[in-house]
Amino acid sequence: MARLLRSYGTLIGMLGIVLFFWISLPDTFMTARNWLNISQQISMLTVVAATMTVVMVMNDFDLSVGSIASLAGVVAAVLFSHQVPMGWALAAALAVGLGAGLLNGVLVSVVGILPFVATLATLTMFSGFAFVVSGGKTIFGRDIPQAFGDFARGGLPIGRLGDRPAVLPWLTLLALAVVALVWLVLEQTSYGRRLYAIGGNPEAARLAGVRVTLLRLSAFAFTGVGAAVAGLMYASRVASANPTQGSGLMLTAIAAVFLGMTLSENGQPRVLASLTGVVVLGVMDNGLTQLQVDSYIREVLVGLIILAAVSISALGRRAAAGR
Amino acid sequence: MPELALSGLIKTYGAARALNGAALALRGGEVHALMGENGAGKSTLIRILAGIERADAGRVTLDGRPIPLASPADAEAAGLRFLHQELQVVPGLSVAENMHLARPYPTRFGLVDWGALRRAARAALARLGVDHLDPDRTMAALGPGDQMLVRIAATLLTGGGRAPWLYVLDEPTAALTGAEAERLFAAIGALVAGGAGVLYVSHRLDEVLRLCQRVTVLRDGATVCSRAIAETDRARIIHDMTGREIGDLYPPRHGATSGAALLRVRGLAGGVVRGIDFDVQAGEILGLAGLSGSGRNAALKALMGALPRRAGQVSLGGVALGTTPAQCWRQGLAYVPRERRSEGLMLWRALAETVTLPHLADLSRAGFLRHRREGQRVAALGHAVGLKARGSWQPCAELSGGNQQKVLFARALAGQPRLLLLDEPTRGVDVGARFDIHALIRAFAAAGGAVIVASSDLPELIGLCDRIAVLHAGRLGAVLPAAGLTEAGLLARCHDPLSEDA
Repeated sequence: MARLLRSYGTLIGMLGIVLFFWISLPDTFMTARNWLNISQQISMLTVVAATMTVVMVMNDFDLSVGSIASLAGVVAAVLFSHQVPMGWALAAALAVGLGAGLLNGVLVSVVGILPFVATLATLTMFSGFAFVVSGGKTIFGRDIPQAFGDFARGGLPIGRLGDRPAVLPWLTLLALAVVALVWLVLEQTSYGRRLYAIGGNPEAARLAGVRVTLLRLSAFAFTGVGAAVAGLMYASRVASANPTQGSGLMLTAIAAVFLGMTLSENGQPRVLASLTGVVVLGVMDNGLTQLQVDSYIREVLVGLIILAAVSISALGRRAAAGR
Repeated sequence: MPELALSGLIKTYGAARALNGAALALRGGEVHALMGENGAGKSTLIRILAGIERADAGRVTLDGRPIPLASPADAEAAGLRFLHQELQVVPGLSVAENMHLARPYPTRFGLVDWGALRRAARAALARLGVDHLDPDRTMAALGPGDQMLVRIAATLLTGGGRAPWLYVLDEPTAALTGAEAERLFAAIGALVAGGAGVLYVSHRLDEVLRLCQRVTVLRDGATVCSRAIAETDRARIIHDMTGREIGDLYPPRHGATSGAALLRVRGLAGGVVRGIDFDVQAGEILGLAGLSGSGRNAALKALMGALPRRAGQVSLGGVALGTTPAQCWRQGLAYVPRERRSEGLMLWRALAETVTLPHLADLSRAGFLRHRREGQRVAALGHAVGLKARGSWQPCAELSGGNQQKVLFARALAGQPRLLLLDEPTRGVDVGARFDIHALIRAFAAAGGAVIVASSDLPELIGLCDRIAVLHAGRLGAVLPAAGLTEAGLLARCHDPLSEDA
């Protein structure tokens, strides 16, 4: 029983949550349209959580992803407002994400600062930059190109649902592509294997010929770019950019990876497990909103769910170790 | 003298019977060795003694009266104390504070009486004959041997329950240097002279023969025999443990080296090593001997690029050797580090990942892993080194010490290396696995590979190597042919490089 709970606790809990919403919201929850909607709502979080998994595999983490997302969105929007072509503006925003990630990587792996301290400091810095670049204002309306906002509204047509055409949102597809990429990198390449080795034992990895400094640096750069992608997705979705709009992503993404770790063997971060964590959180958010639960209560509930999942996993592990 | 007797102990885990009628009789005033191969039931027996596990059946008596051992508190009340390999210390606190962790600090007017705390600590240390430790030093500044002495001394502080009379030391010298081990042996002598008993669990036969008065051997969960040390010897104990005769403790020497230097080391400096020169030929096993701190470990790490080389030229087959572990692995070096848990294994990852980590470039195409090829390679290597595991996916943490070491050997041999660097290759490994590992080393050399073995186990060096280089304070004392060397002679060389006693 304890073993069952430990291995599948999060999945069982997830099924329970889905069943609960299905029964409470018989007409609107278990519909294809709602699930397409959820998939779009969680797409930004999916991208951040997937790329966060890359650093968490090494037992590091990155607190600055929310700020990077905001900064990237703001940079793109400001360039839009200066009539920079869209391609160049997007490239610049991604480059900002890459640069921010590289800075994190240098601080953590070359200088040797604890990830918590280093990325807490850069979180503040990047957030400050976002305010400086945007002048503290939300950039919206005519400054944002039509095509940029349309991207988030559009999608791949997949037939009709009821009387309206249904599309698989581009944002969802993009998020799935990022998950697939991270899965390939972590599970199928020697690069990913080395990252897991660093997480398993950094000194042993170094002595076995793994270039630990370089790899840690590159992983942080990966996470930085991922955060920038998520920031652009967010800006596209609301067709505007302001210097705080990414700030909610960081805690939720870390929570999703932790939720996912309760699913995997030996509690390792795995990208598909992280995706499951994101889905759990997204479904909760969607269902509770439809039930018109107060948003403050919603936060309390989400926190409790995370605690419950991680506690069950920890207790199960202890029971297994105490055999 | 108190006397503790265990008999008819049975303990099963699922289908596996860990103890099958084991018996053990311990008394004050003697050091009693507990020996057996990995899996013989030593750990289970100790866990039952400590009250961490309960036996399914069996009898435990103290001075003839049955006592319960249902919890660690029971064991403590019976006067038993346990010192594990991984010591429980608080690195940031002082020696005196660490000794008072489990008991109230002395107070005066409600405040800690630091003077009394220090005096109590110093007095307890003195009872062990330890006078080189200042009670005010932080624990983190002490080596593992001194930390162990502090932990033993802490049990001598007065107050609380029955005075401790039986100490269980589980592989206490595994992490200690020669000098530290000597201090521990002196402390054990002081304990025993004071009437206490010691249960000494070790794979090191030399220590057991020297330190203990009795030895009990376990095999397959049962007690094979319990003899006075005076009535047994090395060969007999090995026979008791393995159930087979090992005529020669070491595999046969083939003795054919190529004559040409494969590795040339000139003026190597790094860490405590200050300029050493030597050559190793293909087919040769070179030993590195020396006291602790003489630079055995640093020399290997500097060769491997794991420690920056301050000076010197190193070449392998005429090509200058790279300066990072990554380059050295690629050029045909392979390294088995001294601390297998902290420096070698990814404990909670599949053992296959530890084996193939330095060789991933060979096992991938355009950066993508070739899983099937990796699986085949690991299976073949596991077979070649005699690894006993349930599968290549099993985490290293679940393997015995000997099998963990075989995982590291499989890794070292995986890339068809030209030179093996082995640091304490058989530390904490049982007799059977030790023989296997020695045979692997010999076979590698016989096939034309070169090997450097650093070891604190002098009989191992003499039995295994062709030549032995003696290091002394970071410099090379002498390079001696191993044939004909005696342990005493080699030890004398280690202490004094100019000794002609060898």
